[in-house]
Amino acid sequence: MIELQKHGKREFELLTPEAPLDVMTLLSMPDHLRKTAMTVCRLGRATADEVAKQTRRARAVESAYLNQLVIMGYLKKERKGRKAYFYIDKEGQG
Amino acid sequence: MGKIVAVHSYKGGTGKTIISTNLAVTLAKLGRKVCLMDLDFRAPSLSTLLNLNNVECWLNDYLNGVCEIDKVLIDLSARIGGQKNFFVGLANPSVEAIRDMSSKDRKWEMRALGRLLSLRNSLLNDRGFDYIVLDTSPGLQYSSINAIVAADLVVVASTLDNSDVEGTKRMLRDLYDLFEKKTEIILNKVMYGNALTSGRDKLQAMVKDIYGVPLLGVIPCFCDVSRAEGKIIFVHEKPEHPFTRIMGEMAAKIDKLQI
Repeated sequence: MIELQKHGKREFELLTPEAPLDVMTLLSMPDHLRKTAMTVCRLGRATADEVAKQTRRARAVESAYLNQLVIMGYLKKERKGRKAYFYIDKEGQG
Repeated sequence: MGKIVAVHSYKGGTGKTIISTNLAVTLAKLGRKVCLMDLDFRAPSLSTLLNLNNVECWLNDYLNGVCEIDKVLIDLSARIGGQKNFFVGLANPSVEAIRDMSSKDRKWEMRALGRLLSLRNSLLNDRGFDYIVLDTSPGLQYSSINAIVAADLVVVASTLDNSDVEGTKRMLRDLYDLFEKKTEIILNKVMYGNALTSGRDKLQAMVKDIYGVPLLGVIPCFCDVSRAEGKIIFVHEKPEHPFTRIMGEMAAKIDKLQI
């Protein structure tokens, strides 16, 4: 059972690689993603609409960038009803 | 809404600690509620400058997540003749603490950034602080870049030393610009005798030309400041000194900035 759990956990980690969104990572990001990532850093937890209001870019554009940051492992996404919230998973990372 | 001001520089010895301390005290004397924080974890100096022993909690502990910010802040208002308007948060100067802070990994630094960013809510919004002034380590280090990201305004102390000028230029281009930070330069230890009079406009134009950012102020090389050996809060002890007048002008400028 323990073996199974260990195995299961490893598989899960491979599917959702997590990378810390620290300042050096922010610095090395392309400009368009840095703007989005920094806004989430400031807001803590936000929808694409809330991020778009801060960056003054279109909601659809922010939505694409936020999802890209999720795929890259820097952000987490959580759905609540019709809304999707993006946040940095500080607790889950070690 | 309060502001977070980070005082940074490319090289060491440019006067960050003296500038941040005296700027914080000057802002407090202007009637603002100010918190000064030592984020120079590699070479902490505020505890020595302010002669504080028996500190219960350090900023190190706050960033480590083992204590709340209220326990870190020390009320020093009485020292500057004020009331509930000047607080400090200190970095632990013990070698063990410095070693511990130097060996943090990226995940820890990410959480530390989160805790610094949350000061905006806990101190500026909830506790009514008007300013948080962050004294940082020189150059590109995690603690300094975290402070820059958390700040609304970055005040960069630079001397006219060529390596300092070139390094500061690079930082402006490759660091502050990337984070879209509002930046102002303070030229410190300027040796020109006329820096405050006829040469002021020339220096202003030169800074704009070299750095492309506004000049917050020029501080000539004052022997009196060096002679004080970092043992006093200069602007409080020497209210008539030109250094105090310059700090007053810079504080007033910061206070007027729309950020």
